[in-house]
Amino acid sequence: MKRHHPWLSWPQLREGPMQLACHLCDTLQAAPRLREGDGAYCCVCGEKLYRNRPHSLAHATGFSAAALIFMVLAHTFPFLTMTSGSISTRLTLMEAAHVLIRDNDPLVAAGVVFFTVVAPFILVAGMLYVAAPLRHGVALPGAMRVTRWLQWMEPWSMLEVFFLGLIVSLLKLGKMAEVDFGLGLWALGGLVLCTAAALGGIDKLELWDRLEITRKGEANPT
Amino acid sequence: MNLPPPAASQELASCHVCQKVSPIQMENCPRCGTHLHLRKPHSLERTWALLLSACALYVPANLMPIMTVSGLGGGEANTILSGVVAFWQMKAYPVAIVIFTASVLIPILKVAALVWLCLAASGRVWASPRALSRVYYITELLGRWSMVDVFVVAILVCLVRFGALMTITPGPAALCFSGVVILTMFAAMSFDPRLIWDRHRADLADAPPP
Repeated sequence: MKRHHPWLSWPQLREGPMQLACHLCDTLQAAPRLREGDGAYCCVCGEKLYRNRPHSLAHATGFSAAALIFMVLAHTFPFLTMTSGSISTRLTLMEAAHVLIRDNDPLVAAGVVFFTVVAPFILVAGMLYVAAPLRHGVALPGAMRVTRWLQWMEPWSMLEVFFLGLIVSLLKLGKMAEVDFGLGLWALGGLVLCTAAALGGIDKLELWDRLEITRKGEANPT
Repeated sequence: MNLPPPAASQELASCHVCQKVSPIQMENCPRCGTHLHLRKPHSLERTWALLLSACALYVPANLMPIMTVSGLGGGEANTILSGVVAFWQMKAYPVAIVIFTASVLIPILKVAALVWLCLAASGRVWASPRALSRVYYITELLGRWSMVDVFVVAILVCLVRFGALMTITPGPAALCFSGVVILTMFAAMSFDPRLIWDRHRADLADAPPP
């Protein structure tokens, strides 16, 4: 990869000035390159346009890899175990969906699975798939499409809401029976934090620019 | 005060997905292939339709039981509001406030905010565009947290299965309520905040110079 100016985080895309339209007020404005950590704000409505986040791709790679490991743990081990007399029940995401289907609520089960299993998995795995090779200037096949999915999945990944739900349920159950915390609960906490860090740390403008650069590089290799 | 021109006035469209600015004649974004629009298509109509269906679903979501607790002493159906009241009577005030905020306050405020935004975007009420943008931002941010009640039901149904001793089963309101949350999230997504600023620009152009 060609070296570029040290405080610019990614290679320049084209010669002319970049333009950007604010997504709130559609004001067309120049998008200058920023120093690390600086942000650009819309001159009309003050909305944040973009930020140059240092080591954005490295952070995304690291946090999404960690999130993937936490995800495996969160699915293998129960969040909570409840014991009453001789019967004990376990709570995992798939078990919750299974019980909902058995109780004749397949649509709610599908919703729970989509919001807490499918969408977070697409987010985390997709992020790793795109960001890790892109650090070395490589875009794996379908990277563009995966990045589009990432954008669509973001609002539907609701693990942090599920976590709040767990806390509320714990308070609700507290006095009724013996509830034990499982390894899954801590893994879920780690998963929520890592997903948020991976998503919050990524510079979308850089991600798309880099994808475009790699694709151009593949189209006409020098 | 004169505002800088919007991208749309120069036939430039910002891609919904990757934000690249390209001429609208290109139809598809040259970078990511998404179909280009100057504004989200039929934004207000779609938002109104989704809001109305969300309101319609909100009624059964609150009237029907969200879960049924059955045990030795017979069965007891819980609605969303009765759950809040139960927490309040148990003196678990923080939980009561969290549940009340997430499942009653946020959906109502969200629908109200989107109605206000739609009315302002079509020019029937006036409000500062900055305030409206802020309202839109908060609406989009908070919407998903209403789902917490549905997750609580899923968790309790999974954990409390002790046969005749105590069993919790989901009620029809769980499905209705998740429908409300999903519909309002789609409504917020289909609303185009740029319409607010279009209206503001038109107002400024119409206003006589001082």
